[in-house]
Amino acid sequence: MSAGGESSRERILARVARAAASRGRLSHPGALATPAADPVAGFVKCFTSSGGEVVKADRGRPANEWLTDFLQALEPGVVGVAVGPEVPAGLRPRLPDVAAAHAGAGISVAWGAVSESGSLILPSTGTRAVQLLPPVHVVWVPEGRVFARMEDALRELLDGLPAAVGLHSGPSKSADIGRTVVTGVHGPGRCMVVFI
Amino acid sequence: MKVAFFVTCLADHYFADAAADAVRLLRHLGCEVGFPPGQTCCGQPAYNAGRTREALRMAEHTLDVLAGADAVVLPSGSCATMVKKFYPRLAGEGVSRATALSERTWDLAEFIVRRLGVTRLGDGLSGRRVAVHQGCHALRELRLETEPATLLEGAGAEVVPWDAQEECCGFGGLFSVKMTAVSAAMADRKLETLPDVDWVVSGDGGCVLHLDGRSRARGDAIEFVHLATALWRGVN
Amino acid sequence: MVRDYAARSREIIRDEPGVREAVTGATIAFDEKRRKGYAEVDADAWRRWAEGVKNHTLTHLDHYLTEAEARLQANGAQVHWAADAAEAREIVIGLATRRAVASVVKGKSMVTEEIDLNPALEEAGIEVIETDLGEYVLQLLEEPPSHILGPALHKSLRQVQDLFAERLNTAPDGDPDTLARAAREVLRNAFIDADMGITGANFLVAETGTVALIENEGNIRLTTSLPRVHVAVVGIEKLLPRMTDLAGFLQLTARAATGQPIGCFVSLIQGPAAEPGDDGPEEVHVVLVDNGRTDVLAHEHAWEALRCVRCGACLNACPVYRQTGGHAYGHVYSGPIGSVLDPGLLGLHDAMPLPFASSLCGACEDACPVRIPIPELLLEWRKEAQDEGLTPWKERAALAGLASVATRPGLYRLAGRIGSRLGARGAGRALPMLGEWARDRALPKPSPRTFRQLWRKGIE
Repeated sequence: MSAGGESSRERILARVARAAASRGRLSHPGALATPAADPVAGFVKCFTSSGGEVVKADRGRPANEWLTDFLQALEPGVVGVAVGPEVPAGLRPRLPDVAAAHAGAGISVAWGAVSESGSLILPSTGTRAVQLLPPVHVVWVPEGRVFARMEDALRELLDGLPAAVGLHSGPSKSADIGRTVVTGVHGPGRCMVVFI
Repeated sequence: MKVAFFVTCLADHYFADAAADAVRLLRHLGCEVGFPPGQTCCGQPAYNAGRTREALRMAEHTLDVLAGADAVVLPSGSCATMVKKFYPRLAGEGVSRATALSERTWDLAEFIVRRLGVTRLGDGLSGRRVAVHQGCHALRELRLETEPATLLEGAGAEVVPWDAQEECCGFGGLFSVKMTAVSAAMADRKLETLPDVDWVVSGDGGCVLHLDGRSRARGDAIEFVHLATALWRGVN
Repeated sequence: MVRDYAARSREIIRDEPGVREAVTGATIAFDEKRRKGYAEVDADAWRRWAEGVKNHTLTHLDHYLTEAEARLQANGAQVHWAADAAEAREIVIGLATRRAVASVVKGKSMVTEEIDLNPALEEAGIEVIETDLGEYVLQLLEEPPSHILGPALHKSLRQVQDLFAERLNTAPDGDPDTLARAAREVLRNAFIDADMGITGANFLVAETGTVALIENEGNIRLTTSLPRVHVAVVGIEKLLPRMTDLAGFLQLTARAATGQPIGCFVSLIQGPAAEPGDDGPEEVHVVLVDNGRTDVLAHEHAWEALRCVRCGACLNACPVYRQTGGHAYGHVYSGPIGSVLDPGLLGLHDAMPLPFASSLCGACEDACPVRIPIPELLLEWRKEAQDEGLTPWKERAALAGLASVATRPGLYRLAGRIGSRLGARGAGRALPMLGEWARDRALPKPSPRTFRQLWRKGIE
């Protein structure tokens, strides 16, 4: 760091401290109490109202076979997939692995989900390109990992926090042009959850 | 009940008949109305402009003039807010006097509904379609969200919903002459969204002067009626 | 930028009527969503809580800034401190030069607008591409943003159709979906080619060193994930103590901004990629920017404006903003929050007459998720402007005259009688303000007799 940067740091901190001292230091109000809804039902309601999709797997069949058929039946049918390293063999579709930029779908397993905001929690170790580049993102969510409240999820996440975490709460969208909502602007245009 | 009537500058000069109707209405509701003769301007123009010293001088004058009153009623939501809400902020050393007056001061509609507990006035307005413009101070400082409409309906009027009902008309005192184009455009928004009504009723003279002035400049034919006049006609 | 609000606003209203129409429509839609978003939760309790957390943070900012710095460094990120805009630009350009950066992708960020970063990067020979769809439209048009959240909300569909037809070869009547797809294609390549991603931050969590970013398009996630270097430019007021605080702020900010329970994408960034499987950036830099914020923090009243989370709710609620959009204000931060922040950040003299660009209707304060008392702060700035002689002398003289008259009842009544006798037209000549009034409105009609006269005669 340059000498100039060092002195700016000291100057900023000194000015901040002076202002705080002159005002008196105010206390923290404590936790915000938000109501805890039924985790899974609340998640489904919130996530789908934001444009996310919740898909039921055919539990009578092996998950990877079901997913393979499901992806191929999409419009347009998925040919190549990009799969996060966290996805176990039993949840990987039997389709060719391709680079995320060319994949028809990205497949991830969520670390968890949040009911009150309808959010999926996706650590960066799941490979960000998989989560972001394909037009369709399919996310396996363990049912027992749905937290009622964001605060509970983030508190548990503190242990072993990865370099980055993405919270995905629906498809990519924008209303910047003519106030019309369009999906799939930059990130996935379809975000699909399958509970396991 | 004894009421000191604080007429306010604009009502004195531009809505004199409406102010007289407010007196008639208060008497009809059983009040003994007095008019403290030393009253002048509440000081709001100076307060809104940031001329605190001048505003304080006017506030102190008004506090002196209204010192003995049991209840003070103003036919203006904005000036009522000045006395009720802004005097205590301004007052400095005189804050206890200002707070005491604040508790005894009412906007006309506020006084009738909240103090006198009256919502039925008569049926003199039956068959009449009206839209209500709420001054922002009455709406957001005094939180008179329903009182004027309640009284108008209680006098037989049909209160027609207005898309821009809660939007500022653009008067804002000094704002209307400093930023006149924006102020006029804000009035246009109100006028453009106005439903088909017989009257536009407001308890704030400043808003009415501005909206009426803009509507006449545009060549609209809209009839603006002060709330006090509308309610008095509702009684009869 | 033009800095005469009164003249600029008049020009926009007169010459670009489409702006008023587009901005009014968009902000009313945003405001309705905000109301719905607030109604779904105990918004009053959330807002009080958020105000309290921000007040605590701002009065412990020295503590939280050093905590965030230590955490970020422990996470492998690098922290830089910039006293002003010039130093912030220097830091970012220094980083770009050292890493031989040829092309930068950007996520929408007000602070990088504030420090005028794009022109400086371009001058250094670096290509800069705005990736938020609205910002991208404005970059092609070479216009500054008009709104914190919807930077191009003052543009009609027609204007974007014409622009994209010319620049991206889309059909002249392409629908929003087609236009967005065309932009996506250009920008997707930009993401893949870029060496550096630059963003702002919605929050910086001291406990974990987390840079938190809220968005709906996914462009910020891409900006912070694909290029090998990520630089987050962060105002020092963006701190939050703990992750549990962030949980509330992510949701409240989204509800205030768009009524959503949360943004479609939230990025929580602790540092550079370190673990296997993570394809994120090799370097993460956080540039902490003062640029006037410590002046605001030291101000007796204006410090409350530093609670601002840049949600845009006050702009959406503001009937003044709706008439012109942000450009009339002449500064990066426009609307109600701009009119209280700009005098603090830039100095009151440079921000005049923005504290007067408000009718003080109070809609902004009701919308604000952190309960900034905007009308009160506007009044405080007006007071300072009066004390420093920054307002027209005629106005000051008129108000001083009013006070002199109004504290002498006899004189007040006399002045009233003279005024009535002159009539509005005569008074118009006597009072220059009435001339301004009459520019856009018919003159008021005085009552034939004043109330005082009626009272003396007796009211029946």
